[in-house]
Amino acid sequence: MITIEHAGCIFCVGCSSVCPANAIEAVGTRMKHYPEKCIDCGLCAKVCPANVITLHKGVKDPCQAKAHQGHAAPKGAVK
Amino acid sequence: MKYDHDAIVIGGGPSGSTFARYCAAAGMDVLIIDKRKEIGIPVRCGEGLGTREVLAQGLELPKRCISAEITGAKVVAPSGKEIVWKDTQTTGWVLERKMFDKWLCELAVDKGVKVHTYTRATELVKEGGRIAGVKLSHGGKEPYEVRAPLVVSAEGMESLMARAAGFKTVHSLYDVDTCYQYEMKPYDHQNLIELYFGNEIAPRGYVWIFPKSDRKANVGIGIGGNYMNAKKGASGVDGADPKVYLEKFIASHPQLKDSSTLIDFGGVISVGAPMDEFVKDNFMVIGTAAKQVDPIHGGGIAIAMETAALAASTAIGAHKGKDFSRSALLPYETEWKATLGKKMAKRLMLRKVMEKLNDGDLDYIFNTITQKDLNDTMDGKFAAPVAKVVAGRPQLLKVLGALLS
Repeated sequence: MITIEHAGCIFCVGCSSVCPANAIEAVGTRMKHYPEKCIDCGLCAKVCPANVITLHKGVKDPCQAKAHQGHAAPKGAVK
Repeated sequence: MKYDHDAIVIGGGPSGSTFARYCAAAGMDVLIIDKRKEIGIPVRCGEGLGTREVLAQGLELPKRCISAEITGAKVVAPSGKEIVWKDTQTTGWVLERKMFDKWLCELAVDKGVKVHTYTRATELVKEGGRIAGVKLSHGGKEPYEVRAPLVVSAEGMESLMARAAGFKTVHSLYDVDTCYQYEMKPYDHQNLIELYFGNEIAPRGYVWIFPKSDRKANVGIGIGGNYMNAKKGASGVDGADPKVYLEKFIASHPQLKDSSTLIDFGGVISVGAPMDEFVKDNFMVIGTAAKQVDPIHGGGIAIAMETAALAASTAIGAHKGKDFSRSALLPYETEWKATLGKKMAKRLMLRKVMEKLNDGDLDYIFNTITQKDLNDTMDGKFAAPVAKVVAGRPQLLKVLGALLS
Protein backbone atom coordinates (compact mmCIF):
# COMPACT_ATOMS: atom_id res chain seq x y z
CA MET A 1 0.00 0.00 0.00
CA ILE A 2 0.97 3.63 -0.09
CA THR A 3 0.94 6.55 2.28
CA ILE A 4 0.26 10.14 1.27
CA GLU A 5 1.61 13.15 3.11
CA HIS A 6 -1.51 15.20 2.59
CA ALA A 7 0.05 18.45 3.83
CA GLY A 8 2.31 18.56 0.79
CA CYS A 9 -0.26 17.34 -1.75
CA ILE A 10 -1.07 19.88 -4.45
CA PHE A 11 -4.23 18.00 -5.45
CA CYS A 12 -3.27 17.52 -9.08
CA VAL A 13 -4.85 14.03 -9.28
CA GLY A 14 -1.88 12.76 -11.29
CA CYS A 15 -1.70 9.68 -9.04
CA SER A 16 -5.29 8.84 -9.82
CA SER A 17 -4.76 9.22 -13.57
CA VAL A 18 -2.01 6.57 -13.66
CA CYS A 19 -3.48 4.13 -11.11
CA PRO A 20 -4.44 0.94 -12.95
CA ALA A 21 -6.45 -0.34 -9.98
CA ASN A 22 -8.79 2.60 -9.22
CA ALA A 23 -7.18 2.61 -5.79
CA ILE A 24 -6.83 6.36 -5.39
CA GLU A 25 -9.24 9.17 -6.18
CA ALA A 26 -10.03 12.75 -5.30
CA VAL A 27 -12.77 12.95 -2.71
CA GLY A 28 -13.77 16.34 -1.39
CA THR A 29 -10.58 18.30 -1.04
CA ARG A 30 -8.07 15.50 -0.62
CA MET A 31 -6.88 12.31 -2.27
CA LYS A 32 -8.32 9.12 -0.89
CA HIS A 33 -6.50 5.78 -1.04
CA TYR A 34 -8.26 2.41 -0.98
CA PRO A 35 -5.65 -0.04 0.40
CA GLU A 36 -7.86 -3.05 -0.40
CA LYS A 37 -7.70 -2.22 -4.12
CA CYS A 38 -4.01 -1.25 -4.16
CA ILE A 39 -1.76 -3.58 -6.17
CA ASP A 40 1.56 -2.13 -4.92
CA CYS A 41 2.69 -1.04 -8.39
CA GLY A 42 4.02 2.30 -7.15
CA LEU A 43 3.13 4.26 -10.30
CA CYS A 44 1.39 6.94 -8.24
CA ALA A 45 4.51 7.42 -6.13
CA LYS A 46 6.64 7.72 -9.25
CA VAL A 47 4.46 10.22 -11.03
CA CYS A 48 3.68 12.47 -8.05
CA PRO A 49 5.12 15.94 -8.84
CA ALA A 50 5.10 16.92 -5.19
CA ASN A 51 6.81 13.72 -4.12
CA VAL A 52 4.41 13.07 -1.26
CA ILE A 53 3.50 9.44 -1.96
CA THR A 54 5.54 6.58 -0.50
CA LEU A 55 5.12 2.97 -1.56
CA HIS A 56 5.30 0.33 1.16
CA LYS A 57 5.56 -2.83 -0.86
CA GLY A 58 3.87 -5.84 0.68
CA VAL A 59 2.50 -3.87 3.62
CA LYS A 60 -1.26 -4.32 3.95
CA ASP A 61 -1.96 -2.69 7.26
CA PRO A 62 -2.29 1.12 7.35
CA CYS A 63 -0.78 1.30 10.86
CA GLN A 64 2.20 -0.69 9.76
CA ALA A 65 2.64 1.49 6.67
CA LYS A 66 2.73 4.57 8.87
CA ALA A 67 5.34 2.91 11.06
CA HIS A 68 7.28 1.93 7.96
CA GLN A 69 7.30 5.56 6.93
CA GLY A 70 8.88 6.56 10.19
CA HIS A 71 5.84 7.74 12.12
CA ALA A 72 5.32 6.29 15.56
CA ALA A 73 2.95 3.36 15.24
CA PRO A 74 -0.35 3.79 17.02
CA LYS A 75 -0.95 1.73 20.13
CA GLY A 76 -1.85 -1.83 19.30
CA ALA A 77 -0.33 -1.79 15.80
CA VAL A 78 1.14 -5.05 14.60
CA LYS A 79 4.88 -4.75 14.51
CA MET B 1 -38.31 6.51 -19.60
CA LYS B 2 -38.15 9.64 -17.49
CA TYR B 3 -35.04 11.79 -17.48
CA ASP B 4 -34.01 14.74 -15.31
CA HIS B 5 -31.83 16.30 -18.02
CA ASP B 6 -30.97 15.84 -21.69
CA ALA B 7 -27.29 15.57 -20.82
CA ILE B 8 -25.06 15.41 -17.73
CA VAL B 9 -21.55 16.77 -18.14
CA ILE B 10 -18.96 15.66 -15.58
CA GLY B 11 -16.38 18.40 -15.15
CA GLY B 12 -16.67 22.17 -15.47
CA GLY B 13 -13.35 22.85 -17.17
CA PRO B 14 -12.94 24.33 -20.67
CA SER B 15 -14.26 21.27 -22.53
CA GLY B 16 -17.26 20.65 -20.26
CA SER B 17 -18.36 24.27 -20.12
CA THR B 18 -17.94 24.78 -23.86
CA PHE B 19 -19.81 21.60 -24.70
CA ALA B 20 -22.65 22.52 -22.36
CA ARG B 21 -22.83 26.07 -23.72
CA TYR B 22 -23.34 24.89 -27.30
CA CYS B 23 -25.88 22.24 -26.33
CA ALA B 24 -27.90 24.62 -24.16
CA ALA B 25 -27.87 27.26 -26.89
CA ALA B 26 -29.52 24.66 -29.13
CA GLY B 27 -32.27 24.09 -26.58
CA MET B 28 -30.93 21.14 -24.60
CA ASP B 29 -31.33 20.85 -20.84
CA VAL B 30 -27.77 20.30 -19.54
CA LEU B 31 -26.36 19.74 -16.05
CA ILE B 32 -22.67 20.28 -15.29
CA ILE B 33 -21.29 18.79 -12.11
CA ASP B 34 -17.80 19.56 -10.81
CA LYS B 35 -16.16 17.85 -7.87
CA ARG B 36 -14.27 20.99 -6.90
CA LYS B 37 -15.61 23.48 -4.40
CA GLU B 38 -14.97 26.31 -6.82
CA ILE B 39 -14.79 26.16 -10.61
CA GLY B 40 -11.26 26.82 -11.82
CA ILE B 41 -9.47 26.04 -8.54
CA PRO B 42 -6.92 24.58 -8.04
CA VAL B 43 -5.07 25.70 -11.15
CA ARG B 44 -2.83 22.95 -12.48
CA CYS B 45 -1.66 24.57 -15.64
CA GLY B 46 0.90 26.81 -17.34
CA GLU B 47 -2.04 28.98 -18.38
CA GLY B 48 -0.93 29.60 -21.97
CA LEU B 49 -3.52 29.77 -24.76
CA GLY B 50 -3.23 30.66 -28.45
CA THR B 51 -5.64 33.34 -29.60
CA ARG B 52 -7.17 31.50 -32.51
CA GLU B 53 -9.36 29.00 -30.71
CA VAL B 54 -11.28 31.50 -28.64
CA LEU B 55 -11.70 33.89 -31.54
CA ALA B 56 -12.99 31.02 -33.68
CA GLN B 57 -15.88 30.59 -31.26
CA GLY B 58 -16.82 34.26 -31.48
CA LEU B 59 -15.86 34.89 -27.87
CA GLU B 60 -14.21 37.97 -26.54
CA LEU B 61 -12.03 37.26 -23.55
CA PRO B 62 -12.72 39.68 -20.68
CA LYS B 63 -9.73 41.55 -19.26
CA ARG B 64 -9.87 39.74 -15.92
CA CYS B 65 -9.10 36.44 -17.66
CA ILE B 66 -5.95 37.74 -19.32
CA SER B 67 -2.78 38.08 -17.33
CA ALA B 68 -0.44 38.95 -20.21
CA GLU B 69 -0.47 39.19 -23.99
CA ILE B 70 2.09 37.03 -25.74
CA THR B 71 3.79 38.26 -28.88
CA GLY B 72 6.14 35.37 -29.52
CA ALA B 73 8.27 32.60 -28.16
CA LYS B 74 11.91 32.36 -27.20
CA VAL B 75 13.30 28.88 -27.59
CA VAL B 76 16.60 28.22 -25.84
CA ALA B 77 18.97 25.37 -26.75
CA PRO B 78 21.06 23.45 -24.20
CA SER B 79 24.04 25.56 -25.27
CA GLY B 80 22.14 28.72 -24.42
CA LYS B 81 21.57 29.77 -28.02
CA GLU B 82 18.23 31.52 -28.38
CA ILE B 83 15.79 31.65 -31.26
CA VAL B 84 13.10 34.29 -30.96
CA TRP B 85 10.07 33.16 -32.89
CA LYS B 86 7.22 35.51 -33.74
CA ASP B 87 4.35 34.29 -35.84
CA THR B 88 0.58 33.76 -35.80
CA GLN B 89 1.37 30.41 -34.14
CA THR B 90 3.01 32.11 -31.21
CA THR B 91 0.59 34.92 -30.39
CA GLY B 92 -1.75 34.33 -27.52
CA TRP B 93 -2.37 34.95 -23.89
CA VAL B 94 -1.21 33.81 -20.55
CA LEU B 95 -4.50 33.45 -18.74
CA GLU B 96 -5.68 33.88 -15.21
CA ARG B 97 -6.90 30.35 -15.47
CA LYS B 98 -9.19 30.39 -12.46
CA MET B 99 -10.97 33.44 -13.90
CA PHE B 100 -11.02 31.90 -17.38
CA ASP B 101 -12.60 28.61 -16.34
CA LYS B 102 -15.20 30.37 -14.25
CA TRP B 103 -15.99 32.79 -17.09
CA LEU B 104 -16.47 29.92 -19.55
CA CYS B 105 -18.71 28.17 -17.06
CA GLU B 106 -20.74 31.34 -16.49
CA LEU B 107 -21.22 31.68 -20.25
CA ALA B 108 -22.78 28.22 -20.15
CA VAL B 109 -25.01 29.24 -17.25
CA ASP B 110 -26.09 32.29 -19.26
CA LYS B 111 -27.33 29.89 -21.95
CA GLY B 112 -29.39 27.99 -19.39
CA VAL B 113 -26.98 25.31 -18.20
CA LYS B 114 -27.37 24.20 -14.59
CA VAL B 115 -24.12 23.84 -12.61
CA HIS B 116 -23.49 22.03 -9.32
CA THR B 117 -20.10 22.38 -7.63
CA TYR B 118 -18.54 20.18 -4.93
CA THR B 119 -20.47 17.34 -6.49
CA ARG B 120 -18.78 14.12 -7.40
CA ALA B 121 -20.02 11.39 -9.73
CA THR B 122 -19.69 8.17 -7.75
CA GLU B 123 -21.00 5.65 -10.27
CA LEU B 124 -22.90 5.26 -13.51
CA VAL B 125 -26.60 4.53 -13.46
CA LYS B 126 -27.52 1.74 -15.85
CA GLU B 127 -30.86 0.56 -17.10
CA GLY B 128 -31.27 -2.48 -19.30
CA GLY B 129 -27.50 -2.51 -19.71
CA ARG B 130 -27.40 1.06 -21.02
CA ILE B 131 -26.05 4.12 -19.28
CA ALA B 132 -28.98 6.23 -18.09
CA GLY B 133 -27.39 8.73 -15.72
CA VAL B 134 -24.99 9.03 -12.79
CA LYS B 135 -25.05 8.83 -9.03
CA LEU B 136 -23.91 12.09 -7.50
CA SER B 137 -22.67 12.99 -4.08
CA HIS B 138 -22.69 16.59 -2.90
CA GLY B 139 -19.96 17.32 -0.37
CA GLY B 140 -19.46 13.64 0.37
CA LYS B 141 -23.10 13.13 1.38
CA GLU B 142 -25.29 10.14 0.49
CA PRO B 143 -25.29 9.65 -3.31
CA TYR B 144 -28.48 10.36 -5.26
CA GLU B 145 -29.45 9.41 -8.78
CA VAL B 146 -29.70 11.87 -11.67
CA ARG B 147 -30.88 10.57 -15.02
CA ALA B 148 -30.08 11.61 -18.58
CA PRO B 149 -29.86 9.80 -21.91
CA LEU B 150 -26.38 11.24 -22.45
CA VAL B 151 -23.46 11.35 -19.99
CA VAL B 152 -20.37 13.28 -21.01
CA SER B 153 -17.00 12.81 -19.36
CA ALA B 154 -15.07 16.08 -19.36
CA GLU B 155 -13.23 14.93 -16.27
CA GLY B 156 -9.68 15.80 -17.23
CA MET B 157 -6.77 13.54 -16.31
CA GLU B 158 -8.65 11.55 -13.67
CA SER B 159 -11.55 10.44 -15.93
CA LEU B 160 -12.97 7.91 -13.48
CA MET B 161 -16.48 7.77 -14.93
CA ALA B 162 -15.05 7.28 -18.42
CA ARG B 163 -13.08 4.41 -16.92
CA ALA B 164 -16.26 3.04 -15.36
CA ALA B 165 -17.92 3.25 -18.78
CA GLY B 166 -15.24 0.96 -20.19
CA PHE B 167 -12.80 3.41 -21.78
CA LYS B 168 -9.07 2.84 -21.49
CA THR B 169 -8.28 5.99 -19.55
CA VAL B 170 -5.30 4.79 -17.52
CA HIS B 171 -2.11 6.65 -18.43
CA SER B 172 1.29 5.01 -18.76
CA LEU B 173 4.30 6.77 -17.25
CA TYR B 174 5.88 6.98 -20.71
CA ASP B 175 2.92 8.95 -22.00
CA VAL B 176 2.66 11.54 -19.25
CA ASP B 177 4.74 14.50 -18.21
CA THR B 178 5.00 15.40 -14.56
CA CYS B 179 5.00 19.14 -14.02
CA TYR B 180 5.78 21.50 -11.18
CA GLN B 181 5.38 25.23 -11.36
CA TYR B 182 5.81 28.40 -9.35
CA GLU B 183 4.24 31.75 -9.92
CA MET B 184 7.22 34.06 -9.33
CA LYS B 185 7.82 37.75 -8.87
CA PRO B 186 9.60 39.92 -9.82
CA TYR B 187 10.38 38.87 -13.36
CA ASP B 188 10.87 41.50 -16.04
CA HIS B 189 9.79 39.90 -19.29
CA GLN B 190 9.32 40.86 -22.92
CA ASN B 191 5.91 39.24 -23.41
CA LEU B 192 7.60 36.19 -24.83
CA ILE B 193 6.96 32.63 -23.81
CA GLU B 194 10.38 31.18 -22.96
CA LEU B 195 11.17 27.50 -23.42
CA TYR B 196 14.44 25.94 -22.25
CA PHE B 197 15.49 22.56 -23.61
CA GLY B 198 18.18 20.12 -22.57
CA ASN B 199 18.46 16.76 -20.89
CA GLU B 200 20.29 18.36 -17.95
CA ILE B 201 17.56 21.00 -17.64
CA ALA B 202 14.49 18.79 -18.01
CA PRO B 203 14.80 15.15 -19.14
CA ARG B 204 12.33 14.61 -21.98
CA GLY B 205 10.62 17.90 -21.40
CA TYR B 206 11.42 21.53 -20.90
CA VAL B 207 11.40 24.43 -18.50
CA TRP B 208 9.01 27.25 -19.34
CA ILE B 209 8.65 30.83 -18.28
CA PHE B 210 5.22 32.23 -19.10
CA PRO B 211 5.00 35.97 -18.49
CA LYS B 212 2.16 37.33 -16.38
CA SER B 213 0.98 40.76 -15.30
CA ASP B 214 2.69 42.94 -12.70
CA ARG B 215 6.23 41.58 -13.22
CA LYS B 216 5.10 38.03 -12.51
CA ALA B 217 5.70 34.78 -14.41
CA ASN B 218 4.78 31.13 -14.26
CA VAL B 219 8.06 29.25 -14.05
CA GLY B 220 7.52 25.56 -14.53
CA ILE B 221 9.01 22.28 -15.58
CA GLY B 222 7.63 19.19 -17.22
CA ILE B 223 9.63 15.98 -17.37
CA GLY B 224 8.84 12.59 -18.81
CA GLY B 225 6.91 10.39 -16.39
CA ASN B 226 9.24 7.49 -17.13
CA TYR B 227 12.19 9.53 -15.87
CA MET B 228 10.56 10.04 -12.51
CA ASN B 229 12.38 8.35 -9.66
CA ALA B 230 14.42 6.51 -12.25
CA LYS B 231 17.47 6.48 -9.97
CA LYS B 232 19.57 8.00 -12.71
CA GLY B 233 18.57 11.62 -12.60
CA ALA B 234 21.10 13.88 -14.27
CA SER B 235 21.24 16.02 -11.16
CA GLY B 236 22.46 13.02 -9.19
CA VAL B 237 19.38 12.92 -7.00
CA ASP B 238 17.58 9.69 -6.35
CA GLY B 239 15.20 9.90 -9.28
CA ALA B 240 14.22 12.86 -11.37
CA ASP B 241 12.27 15.03 -8.98
CA PRO B 242 10.81 17.91 -11.01
CA LYS B 243 11.13 20.27 -8.07
CA VAL B 244 14.86 19.55 -7.81
CA TYR B 245 15.37 20.31 -11.49
CA LEU B 246 13.25 23.42 -11.29
CA GLU B 247 15.11 24.72 -8.25
CA LYS B 248 18.38 24.11 -10.05
CA PHE B 249 17.17 26.07 -13.08
CA ILE B 250 15.96 28.94 -10.93
CA ALA B 251 19.21 29.09 -8.93
CA SER B 252 21.19 29.45 -12.16
CA HIS B 253 18.88 32.04 -13.73
CA PRO B 254 20.23 35.59 -13.38
CA GLN B 255 16.83 37.18 -12.66
CA LEU B 256 14.83 34.42 -11.02
CA LYS B 257 17.43 33.38 -8.48
CA ASP B 258 16.43 36.33 -6.30
CA SER B 259 12.68 36.21 -7.00
CA SER B 260 9.94 35.06 -4.65
CA THR B 261 7.45 32.29 -5.22
CA LEU B 262 3.80 33.26 -4.85
CA ILE B 263 2.08 30.00 -5.79
CA ASP B 264 3.17 26.36 -5.89
CA PHE B 265 1.26 24.30 -8.37
CA GLY B 266 1.72 21.26 -10.51
CA GLY B 267 0.17 18.36 -12.25
CA VAL B 268 0.48 15.42 -14.52
CA ILE B 269 -0.44 15.78 -18.17
CA SER B 270 -0.97 13.36 -21.02
CA VAL B 271 1.53 13.69 -23.87
CA GLY B 272 0.66 10.43 -25.60
CA ALA B 273 -1.89 9.35 -28.17
CA PRO B 274 -5.59 10.12 -27.73
CA MET B 275 -7.86 7.26 -26.69
CA ASP B 276 -8.85 4.86 -29.48
CA GLU B 277 -12.53 5.66 -29.08
CA PHE B 278 -14.44 8.60 -27.64
CA VAL B 279 -18.03 7.37 -27.68
CA LYS B 280 -20.14 4.47 -26.51
CA ASP B 281 -23.91 4.13 -26.26
CA ASN B 282 -25.17 7.14 -24.25
CA PHE B 283 -21.63 8.25 -23.35
CA MET B 284 -19.07 10.67 -24.77
CA VAL B 285 -15.56 11.57 -23.61
CA ILE B 286 -14.13 14.98 -24.49
CA GLY B 287 -10.96 16.98 -23.87
CA THR B 288 -8.14 15.85 -21.62
CA ALA B 289 -10.31 12.96 -20.35
CA ALA B 290 -10.01 11.51 -23.87
CA LYS B 291 -6.25 12.29 -23.82
CA GLN B 292 -6.81 14.97 -26.43
CA VAL B 293 -3.73 16.94 -25.45
CA ASP B 294 -0.91 18.31 -27.58
CA PRO B 295 1.99 15.84 -27.17
CA ILE B 296 4.59 18.54 -27.78
CA HIS B 297 3.62 21.19 -25.27
CA GLY B 298 1.01 19.42 -23.16
CA GLY B 299 -1.51 22.18 -23.88
CA GLY B 300 -5.12 21.10 -23.63
CA ILE B 301 -7.38 24.17 -23.47
CA ALA B 302 -7.43 24.99 -27.17
CA ILE B 303 -8.03 21.39 -28.25
CA ALA B 304 -10.66 20.98 -25.55
CA MET B 305 -12.64 23.97 -26.79
CA GLU B 306 -12.44 22.91 -30.42
CA THR B 307 -13.37 19.35 -29.52
CA ALA B 308 -16.27 20.46 -27.34
CA ALA B 309 -17.81 22.39 -30.24
CA LEU B 310 -17.49 19.36 -32.47
CA ALA B 311 -18.90 16.97 -29.88
CA ALA B 312 -21.76 19.37 -29.13
CA SER B 313 -22.89 19.47 -32.75
CA THR B 314 -23.08 15.68 -32.73
CA ALA B 315 -24.92 15.67 -29.40
CA ILE B 316 -27.42 18.25 -30.65
CA GLY B 317 -28.12 16.04 -33.68
CA ALA B 318 -28.54 13.01 -31.44
CA HIS B 319 -30.92 14.95 -29.21
CA LYS B 320 -33.04 15.98 -32.22
CA GLY B 321 -33.16 12.41 -33.47
CA LYS B 322 -33.79 11.10 -29.92
CA ASP B 323 -31.03 8.59 -30.55
CA PHE B 324 -27.97 8.52 -28.29
CA SER B 325 -26.62 5.18 -29.49
CA ARG B 326 -22.96 4.79 -30.30
CA SER B 327 -23.62 5.10 -34.00
CA ALA B 328 -25.53 8.36 -33.49
CA LEU B 329 -22.61 9.78 -31.45
CA LEU B 330 -19.95 8.48 -33.79
CA PRO B 331 -19.79 11.53 -36.13
CA TYR B 332 -17.89 13.41 -33.39
CA GLU B 333 -15.24 10.71 -33.17
CA THR B 334 -14.91 10.27 -36.93
CA GLU B 335 -14.66 14.00 -37.57
CA TRP B 336 -12.14 14.48 -34.74
CA LYS B 337 -9.87 11.76 -36.05
CA ALA B 338 -10.00 13.22 -39.57
CA THR B 339 -9.11 16.74 -38.41
CA LEU B 340 -7.55 17.34 -34.99
CA GLY B 341 -6.46 13.71 -34.76
CA LYS B 342 -4.24 13.99 -37.82
CA LYS B 343 -2.52 17.04 -36.40
CA MET B 344 -2.02 15.35 -33.01
CA ALA B 345 -0.53 12.25 -34.62
CA LYS B 346 2.15 14.37 -36.28
CA ARG B 347 2.90 16.13 -33.01
CA LEU B 348 3.23 12.79 -31.25
CA MET B 349 5.66 11.60 -33.91
CA LEU B 350 7.70 14.75 -33.37
CA ARG B 351 7.73 14.25 -29.59
CA LYS B 352 8.95 10.69 -29.94
CA VAL B 353 11.74 11.81 -32.26
CA MET B 354 12.74 14.74 -30.06
CA GLU B 355 13.10 12.56 -26.97
CA LYS B 356 15.77 10.51 -28.76
CA LEU B 357 18.01 13.54 -29.31
CA ASN B 358 20.92 14.27 -27.00
CA ASP B 359 22.01 17.78 -26.08
CA GLY B 360 24.64 17.86 -28.84
CA ASP B 361 21.99 17.01 -31.44
CA LEU B 362 19.65 19.64 -30.05
CA ASP B 363 22.39 22.27 -30.16
CA TYR B 364 23.20 21.37 -33.75
CA ILE B 365 19.54 21.60 -34.75
CA PHE B 366 19.09 24.96 -33.04
CA ASN B 367 22.15 26.28 -34.87
CA THR B 368 20.81 25.11 -38.21
CA ILE B 369 17.11 25.86 -38.32
CA THR B 370 15.34 29.17 -38.84
CA GLN B 371 12.02 30.61 -37.74
CA LYS B 372 10.45 29.35 -40.94
CA ASP B 373 11.67 25.83 -40.20
CA LEU B 374 10.13 26.06 -36.74
CA ASN B 375 6.82 27.12 -38.29
CA ASP B 376 6.93 24.27 -40.79
CA THR B 377 7.78 21.77 -38.07
CA MET B 378 4.89 22.86 -35.86
CA ASP B 379 2.59 22.71 -38.91
CA GLY B 380 3.63 19.11 -39.47
CA LYS B 381 5.66 19.88 -42.60
CA PHE B 382 8.87 18.12 -41.63
CA ALA B 383 10.59 17.52 -44.99
CA ALA B 384 12.51 20.80 -45.47
CA PRO B 385 13.75 21.21 -41.87
CA VAL B 386 14.77 17.56 -41.67
CA ALA B 387 16.63 17.75 -45.00
CA LYS B 388 18.52 20.79 -43.77
CA VAL B 389 19.60 19.15 -40.51
CA VAL B 390 20.46 15.80 -42.06
CA ALA B 391 22.58 17.47 -44.74
CA GLY B 392 24.98 18.63 -42.05
CA ARG B 393 24.59 15.73 -39.63
CA PRO B 394 23.78 12.61 -41.66
CA GLN B 395 23.89 10.36 -38.59
CA LEU B 396 20.63 11.98 -37.43
CA LEU B 397 18.81 10.51 -40.42
CA LYS B 398 18.22 7.34 -38.44
CA VAL B 399 16.27 9.28 -35.81
CA LEU B 400 14.75 12.08 -37.89
CA GLY B 401 13.89 9.75 -40.77
CA ALA B 402 10.78 8.71 -38.83
CA LEU B 403 9.35 12.15 -39.56
CA LEU B 404 9.56 11.60 -43.31
CA SER B 405 7.47 8.44 -43.49
